[in-house]
Amino acid sequence: MEKHDAAKASPNVLEFKGVSVQFGGVRAVNNVDLTLARGEFLGLIGPNGAGKTTLLNLISGAMPPTSGEILFNGQSIVGISPDRLCHLGISRTFQNIRLFPKMTVFENVALGLHARPNYSLTDALFCTPRSIRREKQNIERANGLLDLVGLSAYAKKHAGDLSYGLQRRLELVRAMATDPQLLLLDEPAAGMNEDECGNLTKLIRSIHQEFGFGVILIEHHIQVVMELCRESRIYVMNLGEILASGTPMEIQNDTKVINAYLGEKRTTNGRTRRQISRNC
Amino acid sequence: MGYLSTICVLSCINIVAVLGLAILTGYTGLFSIGHAGFMAVGAYASAILYMHFGVPFYLALVLGGFAAGLSSLIIGYPAFRGAGKLRGDYFAIATLGFGEAVRLLLNTTYKYVGGAYGLTEIPGLTTLPVALGVAFLALIGAHNLMRSEHGKNCLAVGQDEVAAQMMGVNLFTTKLKALFISAFYAGVAGGLFGFYMTYLSPSNFGIGKSSDLLAAVVFGGMQSLIGPVITAFLLVGIPELLRFLLDWRLVIYGILFVVVMVYRPQGMLGYREMNFRWLWAAIRWLKPGKPKQAN
Repeated sequence: MEKHDAAKASPNVLEFKGVSVQFGGVRAVNNVDLTLARGEFLGLIGPNGAGKTTLLNLISGAMPPTSGEILFNGQSIVGISPDRLCHLGISRTFQNIRLFPKMTVFENVALGLHARPNYSLTDALFCTPRSIRREKQNIERANGLLDLVGLSAYAKKHAGDLSYGLQRRLELVRAMATDPQLLLLDEPAAGMNEDECGNLTKLIRSIHQEFGFGVILIEHHIQVVMELCRESRIYVMNLGEILASGTPMEIQNDTKVINAYLGEKRTTNGRTRRQISRNC
Repeated sequence: MGYLSTICVLSCINIVAVLGLAILTGYTGLFSIGHAGFMAVGAYASAILYMHFGVPFYLALVLGGFAAGLSSLIIGYPAFRGAGKLRGDYFAIATLGFGEAVRLLLNTTYKYVGGAYGLTEIPGLTTLPVALGVAFLALIGAHNLMRSEHGKNCLAVGQDEVAAQMMGVNLFTTKLKALFISAFYAGVAGGLFGFYMTYLSPSNFGIGKSSDLLAAVVFGGMQSLIGPVITAFLLVGIPELLRFLLDWRLVIYGILFVVVMVYRPQGMLGYREMNFRWLWAAIRWLKPGKPKQAN
């Protein structure tokens, strides 16, 4: 188990050392340093185009950094393909939902369990006892995960037929099926109303406490972030740089953050502070 | 009777080849317009193995399938590998090139394969029961494969490559597997074809044959095995039924395709998985003594 040996080596699950990404003349990410301790819940906020999703794409291997180093469990992961990273323990959801629409809810989740098949092609061809046994294990685990997020009733429906909120939920549980050490959530509450946000917040919190993996959460609903990162840290990004980091309270009182969100000329009075916490 | 059995045998052969293409195109989302090339490789390989090396008939069929599978790696390996991987239409063009290359190679090689004269005096070993048996086994095999973990991975790659990769699916091996299996099926179908016609000529495996196979898959439905099987059968049968119309049958053929494309773009049985639940339901219904189970 390469996963667990590596886990002991470093106290930090993830470490960024001076990472930059350049698209032509645009610096999407500029000299970012970041650390994530084991099991920590990290919020990542910032205005549109700040480079948050780019940061996630770097971690999940979708694109390489122009310079700098990214360490996962103390080992460099630059240049490793996304599927290998997934097996090392990095899993993610997408800003615009990317489920497999014509596969059932169950199949979507089960994919995470057998992306690396558990039996050979010949086993599959002849439907051997080994393949049947492994399939049973998959069914048990996938159903367990679906129960956890309350999707078992929809197990046989096509994922594309679910409502928006349920699709978000499904994407979350699909990402968990790969047994990650680090879960990257890219705007899981996008497009949700306050009620749905509240439910999702509870769900993410309970999952995080139960499974204990590290989480990086990008979210524009400030209330969701503030609630989920109550006891941990938030990083604020702007124009590809880390603007500030700290507890939710520190962030809310940070002059630079308020300027980035509301424009340079505003002063830090009580009113603007309330505004960020309400609807940025 | 001979006429009817010819249609049945040719349908069965068509079904085997189309099943292979359904795995590649219908499930994994990779279009191939060169599948006749794989059929040709299988056909020539199994015929030569049988005639010159004394390999038994069934083993020759399987080895022909493997030969086609291995030949698919020639195109699959460079096409799917690394940063230069070919997507969508580009892969289809590559397979087109492969199919034509195989045909021309056979056409100009006179040693062993007979060149444009063709390969003659192949014994007619493909009888109706053999063809039916092979088609049935091919269907069961494809069903098992597509229901397995490997098949689900193919399905995921076909629907969203990026998401599949992020979920840990290795795109390269998954696509290569799908292509190999698909070519294997085509090779076996080619073998059956050779042993039925008793004569092989490169002109049997032109682009027309490839597009017929692809049409059967698209017409029959994406992500379905039973749909393409039915259309594979119909596409052999309908031209025969319409034979009295002479050249007008091609027009009807064309109209049929346009109608399907307009009214059912997902194909006849698109996204319908084959299952036999209705069969069990019918059996239960016919036996009133047994208590009916609630769904």
